[in-house]
Amino acid sequence: MNPIEENYANMTRRSFFSKTALGIGGLALGSLLNPSLLSAATKKMGSLAGDNFGVPHFVPKAKRVIHLFQNGAPSHVELFDYKPKLRTWHGKQTPSELLKGKKFSTMSSQSNTPILGNITEFKQHGKNGTWVSDFMPHTAAIADELCFIKSMHTDHVNHAPAITFFLTGSGLPGRPSTGSWLSYGLGKMTDNLPAFVVLTSLDKQANCGQLFYDYYWGSGFLPSKYQGVKFRGAKDPVLYLKDPNGMSREMRRTFLNGVEELNQMNLKEYGDPEIQTRIAQYEMAYQMQVSVPELTDFSDEPQHILDMYGPNVTKKGSFAYNCLMSRRLIERGTRFVQLMHAGWDQHTNLNTQLKKQCEDTDQPSAALVKDLKQRGLLDDTLVIWGGEFGRTPFLQGSIDDKAHWGRDHHPYAFTTWMAGAGVKPGMSYGKTDDFGFNVVENPVHVHDFQATLMHLMGIDHEKFTFKHQGRRFRLTDVHGNVIKDILS
Amino acid sequence: MKIYFLTVLKIVFLIGLITSCQSNLPKDVEEAYDKLPEKIDYGFDVKPILSDRCYACHGPDEDSRYGGLRLDDEEAAFGMLANGKYPLIRNKPFESEVVKRILSDDPALTMPTPESKIFLTAKEKAIIVKWLEQGGEWKPHWSFIKPQKQALPVVTNRGLVQNPIDNFVLAKLERNKLSFSEKADKTTLLRRVYFDLIGLPPSKQAVDNFLNDTSKNAFEKVVDQLLTSPRFGERWAWNWLDIARYADTNGFQGDPERKMWPWKTWVINAFNNNMPYDQFTVEQLAGDLLPNATTNQVLATAFNRNHSFNGEGGRIIEETRVENVFDRLETTGTVWLGLTFKCTRCHDHKFDPLTQKEYFQFYDYFNQTSETGDSEDRGMITPVLDLSNSLKKEELKKLEDYLKKIGEEVAQVEAKKFKGDERIEKYPALKKLSGSALNQLKIQPSLRSPYYMKELIQGLEKSDPIYVGKLKELSKAINKRRGQARKHLRVMVMDELKTPRTTYVLGKGIFDNHLDSVTSGVPAILPPLAKDAPKNRLGLAQWLVSKEHPLTGRVTVNRYWQEFFGKGLVKTSDDFGLQGSLPTHPELLDWLAVDFVENGWNLKRLFKQIVSSRTYQQASKITPELYELDPENKLLARGLRRRLPSWMIRDQALFAGELLHHKIGGKPVKPYQPVGIWDEATFGKQKYKQGKGADLYRRTLYTYWKRIAGPTMLFDNPARQSCEVKPLLTNAPQHALITMNDVTYLEAARVIAQNALTAEQTAEKQIEYIFRTITSRKPTVEEQQILNKKLKEFKEEFKNKDIAEAINYVSVGEYPLDETLDKIAYASFSALSSMILNLDETITKQ
Repeated sequence: MNPIEENYANMTRRSFFSKTALGIGGLALGSLLNPSLLSAATKKMGSLAGDNFGVPHFVPKAKRVIHLFQNGAPSHVELFDYKPKLRTWHGKQTPSELLKGKKFSTMSSQSNTPILGNITEFKQHGKNGTWVSDFMPHTAAIADELCFIKSMHTDHVNHAPAITFFLTGSGLPGRPSTGSWLSYGLGKMTDNLPAFVVLTSLDKQANCGQLFYDYYWGSGFLPSKYQGVKFRGAKDPVLYLKDPNGMSREMRRTFLNGVEELNQMNLKEYGDPEIQTRIAQYEMAYQMQVSVPELTDFSDEPQHILDMYGPNVTKKGSFAYNCLMSRRLIERGTRFVQLMHAGWDQHTNLNTQLKKQCEDTDQPSAALVKDLKQRGLLDDTLVIWGGEFGRTPFLQGSIDDKAHWGRDHHPYAFTTWMAGAGVKPGMSYGKTDDFGFNVVENPVHVHDFQATLMHLMGIDHEKFTFKHQGRRFRLTDVHGNVIKDILS
Repeated sequence: MKIYFLTVLKIVFLIGLITSCQSNLPKDVEEAYDKLPEKIDYGFDVKPILSDRCYACHGPDEDSRYGGLRLDDEEAAFGMLANGKYPLIRNKPFESEVVKRILSDDPALTMPTPESKIFLTAKEKAIIVKWLEQGGEWKPHWSFIKPQKQALPVVTNRGLVQNPIDNFVLAKLERNKLSFSEKADKTTLLRRVYFDLIGLPPSKQAVDNFLNDTSKNAFEKVVDQLLTSPRFGERWAWNWLDIARYADTNGFQGDPERKMWPWKTWVINAFNNNMPYDQFTVEQLAGDLLPNATTNQVLATAFNRNHSFNGEGGRIIEETRVENVFDRLETTGTVWLGLTFKCTRCHDHKFDPLTQKEYFQFYDYFNQTSETGDSEDRGMITPVLDLSNSLKKEELKKLEDYLKKIGEEVAQVEAKKFKGDERIEKYPALKKLSGSALNQLKIQPSLRSPYYMKELIQGLEKSDPIYVGKLKELSKAINKRRGQARKHLRVMVMDELKTPRTTYVLGKGIFDNHLDSVTSGVPAILPPLAKDAPKNRLGLAQWLVSKEHPLTGRVTVNRYWQEFFGKGLVKTSDDFGLQGSLPTHPELLDWLAVDFVENGWNLKRLFKQIVSSRTYQQASKITPELYELDPENKLLARGLRRRLPSWMIRDQALFAGELLHHKIGGKPVKPYQPVGIWDEATFGKQKYKQGKGADLYRRTLYTYWKRIAGPTMLFDNPARQSCEVKPLLTNAPQHALITMNDVTYLEAARVIAQNALTAEQTAEKQIEYIFRTITSRKPTVEEQQILNKKLKEFKEEFKNKDIAEAINYVSVGEYPLDETLDKIAYASFSALSSMILNLDETITKQ
């Protein structure tokens, strides 16, 4: 069954209320964008007499998403949220009213929290004079393309829960991740590749709390075919992809033809539609055996494109490699790429590690945005860059021991940027106080961010639910407001 | 929202008189009304609507209740509201406030409110109207009423009834003007019952025996034999392992190894010995509390230590401990009660009559173990059951006594040195230390981490050599004890603190947000504990399996039914609460549940009952008419056709290749997996080291389960992160890649071919041998033709290539090659075997 049709069949009863304004009208509008959706949708609408509906609820601005997730939490005050006051307060104890009632990880000593001046320099960039750190020259150069949300905040203070929260809407494992929700709701755009792909990379010093748990891209209670397919950074991006030694492609074809012929006979006898799906999935497997190696073969990329992404672009499993892979994936019809890069957890090595981390990620991230733009893909592709929380404006470690300066986890404020489809370019949204400690203007909770992402994909986050264990679940739990001000 | 609602109430008050005069139904509701069944049932028709659409604001949760209205409580729903109105009035639907509101098209009045984005269909409105017309009979939720055996329904076609299950199923079919499908043919049925009861296909010999046995009880003989097969326990242990979130590692960062496998063997034995399910329950939940508990009974309690354990650096140990208690009680709630306790962790349940206080009363049962949340022992976190020999135990005891002594000495020294938070002023050297190192000072010395103590020792080395000397001694003692302990077979089990821990209601479920203290107890909606019940897990376990309990029997029978029929009679096998599905055959479920309990919670008897029914023995062929009418097969007018679980598919391949090693129980093994499979998850710190010989051919049940990187050859299996009781089923391209390209499958295919070539002389016989070995049946003439053609094509292709390709192809796996065989034939038949292993029929129970 095609996912849209299947979706209709699976949709829960709550769906019927779409019969109102946003329902059928919205569906038709959404379908205009993709003719294949329309036929399937109308056909199904007819037979189900309007008792079900599908997403999108309205015209989506974004068809695809590339989420450059920065595991470990980049320091907002070093990179994008410029706070000159930190330097004037350097070494002085953090005002106690800021610390009161706040929770931090047990790694920092609570009795001693001197402010740490930002170790990076900032300059203004682009038409809007956006402040960006000198550690991020490539990102700075495309500041006019980006929308910085400087008022992000979250509920969790440790890595795994906070990442899970950002990606699934809950701090505990077991909920569907954003990409699963989207591929469940919107279906896929190609038969050759999965709709939701995960790529991971890490720097050499990545350490604690930065494992990639598979529930970061799990489908939770949604059918597991919607879970992210994780391409490995190793020699086989998809496991078991390679035919055994001695088996040629022609033989695999012969083999699959045989499987199909015999399956068809069984289908005739049993009439089970699952057999049809099985035949189709074997075919998809065969396609992926070709499409995945083709996808990962960069030999058709001109040198100037490779150069854009920087020297690591051909190194499998590097951030640069994955950025280029992301572009290639969405070009080939993948809907959601979740690229996860670990290594931002600078508890003790801010002065040594942050720069390297930026060098690894700055150029490829910016290249991806530029590359998408020059291909016209940025118009309907959304790029997101950010981590699970920020880092403390105060120091973790000893003020005398500069080599081991660090910052602890900070859930109360951090910066995320977005670019592309439906988002206002060249703007900054929200503000933190002079220390970058608390949000003071236009706070954006993680659930608000998720609601906005859904909105850009044409989905009303409050309506897009799935019933499980007696509750209707949605990505944003029972929260979330779309940040209208950043929509173009 | 609240303010808005109050305004609405005022408006309603003003115009109440006007609306109450209108008793005509809107047209769509009237049309729906005409199609309703004669009798509206509260539990099956009305309550699902109220629960799904109204309870969120007018249900059990006091904090989110609006307008003082609650519809989950009979008295309140029919009683007077503060404004003098009556939400529901028996026999007078149009005077009931609820009906007025749901029929109103005024956006200011209509319920549910437009901004809730919840709506009622015409049919649902009509149901509420008709129910009130018929007197508005109110019953408790069906699953909270003790099940009763009702008289067996009378059926027209009595000849089709093989046992009571059929009475219920056929009666419903006949009401729908349907009947059973024809019986499955003998081979199909045999294959089905083999997979269902022992998780393996029948051997060719077993098929022949059954086909040749024309006696009336031929099938029964097979069933009896399967029920006594040692493979039976292995098959049923798998499900229990998924439920029990069993793994061989802790999960989370570092994912250290644990040794819980003796418990796995316990489970296999329990199923093989047909341990009554009530005993199975009591021993696993509270075996340690039984009088004169045996080692096995204590071992059984490992069930509740199988949860993952987060030892991430920087975690607060109390938080970890509390999360583990949550897991235990929620697992117990799902497995035995079919209730979703999780919602109640943070607030009163919005749908089920469970309060947050009740959650923590239930929590108290699991809160009394000595586990501290500290992960110092990595995969063997105390309390543990040491299954090593007494010599080893003595050795460990000595080291522990010594550690205790040193620990006390250090504590004494520190008590004099540091008072409160003065330590940093007194010891400027401490300033430089990380939080984690400083935290060590807060932990009881014998439980400290030598890793973090290193920093402490270095930091103080110059300023306080005497104290540092003691710390070094302590570090050494910890390491020594730890080294010895790691050599032991220590299984994590449950115990009970002598002095009970105080249990608090935790505000919003946050570990340190202590509200009122509570003591153990069971939810009020369920039967009370026996008067003399011990106030501990044993009392709880005995309560779960008491004859009065309305849930345990039903939930259990339903979960096992699900194994045979793909889904339970209650589809939401994890939720029997108000938001769960209603049973498709409520009387059957109750009959089975009562019968199961009456007959001593006898699982083998239940399974035999199920497979002996005509319902079970139907063919699974789907006609277009039947598919149109009942795509999900809710009426059971046909048998189940469903892809086998991935572990069974793998076991089948090993069995067909005669490779399966039949040893029962024991340590986990590491079969073929792609190279470097753990590298990514562990940053290259841990390597998957493939086993050898028999280890490659054990049943999948024994495959090492690394929680953060589970076995890659499995699909659609729960990840064992938390309790899962519902099977998953997807149909994805990755599955095809596994069965086509995984070494286990390729090697099995090759060995099947090798066996065929040795056993038979002609190509036709050899093909038949392979086909029968894998599918249990002979190919049809048409199939034989296709297979012949494929074999020819494979041969051509191998012939046209270097002979090395054929040799490569058959060299897969560690099983010895048969050097005497013609390589082209060897390779071509191997490819053919692999093809047959990939047929839909092969991987499907049909």
